[in-house]
Amino acid sequence: MSLIVLLIIVALVGFIILTYNRLIGQIEAVRNNQKQIDIQLDRRFKVFESLINVVKKYMDYEKTTLKDVVALRNQAQQAQASGDEKTRIAAENQISTIASHLNVVFEQYPDLKANQNVLQLQEEIVSTENKLAYSKQSFNDSVEIYNASKKSFPANVIVGAFPGKLDFEFPYWQLSEQKVAEQESYTVQL
Amino acid sequence: MSDTFNQYSISSADWRKTLRQNNFRTRIVILLFFLIYCSIGMLVDMYMSSMHYPHATIPQLFHALITFKIFPLATSVMLIIAGISLMVSYAFYDKLMLLGTEYHEITPTTAQNVSEQQLYNMVEEMKIAAGLRYMPRIFIIDADYMNAFASGYSEKSAMIAITRGLMNKLNRDELQAVMAHELSHIRHLDIKLTLTASLLANLSVMVLDILFYNMIFSNNRRNSENRSGNSLAAIIMILRFILPLISVLLLLYLSRTRELMADAGCVELMRTNQPLAQALMKISDDHTQNRDQYNADYQHTPHENIRREAYIFDPMQAGIESKASVSDMFSTHPSLEARLAALGIQKKS
Repeated sequence: MSLIVLLIIVALVGFIILTYNRLIGQIEAVRNNQKQIDIQLDRRFKVFESLINVVKKYMDYEKTTLKDVVALRNQAQQAQASGDEKTRIAAENQISTIASHLNVVFEQYPDLKANQNVLQLQEEIVSTENKLAYSKQSFNDSVEIYNASKKSFPANVIVGAFPGKLDFEFPYWQLSEQKVAEQESYTVQL
Repeated sequence: MSDTFNQYSISSADWRKTLRQNNFRTRIVILLFFLIYCSIGMLVDMYMSSMHYPHATIPQLFHALITFKIFPLATSVMLIIAGISLMVSYAFYDKLMLLGTEYHEITPTTAQNVSEQQLYNMVEEMKIAAGLRYMPRIFIIDADYMNAFASGYSEKSAMIAITRGLMNKLNRDELQAVMAHELSHIRHLDIKLTLTASLLANLSVMVLDILFYNMIFSNNRRNSENRSGNSLAAIIMILRFILPLISVLLLLYLSRTRELMADAGCVELMRTNQPLAQALMKISDDHTQNRDQYNADYQHTPHENIRREAYIFDPMQAGIESKASVSDMFSTHPSLEARLAALGIQKKS
């Protein structure tokens, strides 16, 4: 009889330990993926800066664009430092718009289009934007996994026992409603 | 291509459900393989102990073994052998996959042109989407046929290989879908899984064979007083013919569920099902159109059977035969229709 009780206790403790460790792993995954977005934003800035520097030789257009990107980048960094997420996202989104303009500009210059380097740069723009989007998606996925396991039974009992260590509220990455409405009605203007 | 694609109605793919279902199926298959392996061990044990205890019945022997009144020596030895050979094959398997092909590796610094750079970028994008901690190595195989495969499960061994033909004939989205499919094989640890299953299957068949021949040649030592010996002999005889067939069918079932899971994993990463569907149709059409040429190409590549299961598309489905063996009667992959249906794409009637 006492053996059975002992076995049940051992199984219970084992379950608690496993659940605890799993949740800790998921929390750290969310945090890592959150930073991955920053890494990709930072990478994008550097890529675009060097990109525009290369293209500058071909077109006057780009001189102002480079200044714009640098200005937007500074704006984003200041906003991040002061914790103003809204301004930061707005600035980063504007850099995205400039990137798509750049691709359109390439199309207008046949010499440029044929240039191997520019093809490479174009690919770099596409890939950079993709990486940023995928890092956001990956962040949301990890938030989903964490939220699902923390709210499900019986893990929620264990979360209730260690609220300081296991219970965090990570918001999904998303656009504001106003921004969504703006983007919905957006059409390409050449 | 867009013409053929118009014949299909496109809905969204429920990748969460596909992943859940096939994950469950995988567990059942692996459990079955483990149980088969253990029961073969028990069979050997019963056979051996039936010589020491000629008057015991089969249920009595089984009960004695399972309660450790007789130590199940053969089962234990077999489990240890399986453990060691699994570790050895995990360590060396990744060296095998590129055997016989002409290939070169792509890194960001050695990319020779934009499309190679693009390939590397796509894999990196999918790696970010999957939250994978390491970047798999990427190889291009110099061959005209359209195919790709992945291998490995760790930083050291993970790799994706694609043929030059696939790279040239697919657009960026489709190629990315193929890369997402291959990356899903890596993050689902499929190579480790199929390796484990086929090793257990082969070992079971081998042990049964040894038992069978041992039984035949030591027959004269038995006497008619042995109560369980004769029925054990009958069981061994029947199993020897059925077990290889069961193993092959189970392995094929496992391989098919893992393919569907990798397809679902691709949708999970890309959040769209069309690129993969288009890529699969293109690859399939291309194989049908160039059947004779590809047939020769595949035949001339040595050790093609190592890769067959890992390919995104099983060449045999396009009527390209490999050298005959039992498993070649069935495809390692679900049919194109089944895969498209799982992706939420059905042919309009």
